[in-house]
Amino acid sequence: MIGVAKAFDPGTVLLAKHAQHVVLVHFPIALFLTGVAFDWVARWTNRKALAEAAYYNLLLAAASTLPVVVTGVLAWQFQLEGERLKGILLLHLVMGWASTVLICAVWWVHFRVRRRGTATPGYLRIVECVAVVAVALTGHLGGFLSGVSGG
Amino acid sequence: MRRRVWIVALAAPVVVAALLLGSDSRGLAASAAQAQASSAEVKIDNFSFGPTTLTVAPGTTVTWTNRDDIPHTVVSDDKVFKSKVLDTDEKFSYTFTKPGTYGYFCSIHPKMTGKVVVQ
Repeated sequence: MIGVAKAFDPGTVLLAKHAQHVVLVHFPIALFLTGVAFDWVARWTNRKALAEAAYYNLLLAAASTLPVVVTGVLAWQFQLEGERLKGILLLHLVMGWASTVLICAVWWVHFRVRRRGTATPGYLRIVECVAVVAVALTGHLGGFLSGVSGG
Repeated sequence: MRRRVWIVALAAPVVVAALLLGSDSRGLAASAAQAQASSAEVKIDNFSFGPTTLTVAPGTTVTWTNRDDIPHTVVSDDKVFKSKVLDTDEKFSYTFTKPGTYGYFCSIHPKMTGKVVVQ
């Protein structure tokens, strides 16, 4: 009961240090993977409603990368005092940045296509595939670091 | 009489040498035992410190070794000591000079905690 009360205490939630990064990171991962899946099905079935759903998923995924990056960098600065990273931690940081850039790039291409009313460029599928792999790899490394997977 | 002096003259250095040797080996044994007593090890494995609670004498150097595949840190609750990020097989040592209880944790995985009791 005490644990439940503590979980809803604003102080505990706001000052949870790097735990926030671990929680927030699920949003861009889920939104981006769902967005890409909707986009592929939309193109395959030619359903506009699915394309709309894909766009808004990708928009929210791109927006939610910001707090994830901020909390990740804060965790690095506070928990490890900005120590020079190496090994899995460094790989997670690099892959995290790559994933963020790719998620935002995918949304940006969709945004431009919608605004100009042009056809979706062919390279987008490749970029989406690379982004999915990058996101999956970053998530796996994060899970490994936190002890959720592979520990 | 002269023969007795000779015997004493020859035996005396042998006896003194034997006594010195004896006391020296006792001293070596004592210092080896002291060295053994003044160091202790904590293993980090499977997201836990082992032993969780370690009791040592003042002046003991405790060495933490990361046997896990995951990087960990060793940070005392009151910031008395703090390691860098320890990758697999990396070590961190700290000498406890003052008696007391020193709680510590891994800053990457705060649920990993341990305690060193110096008494």
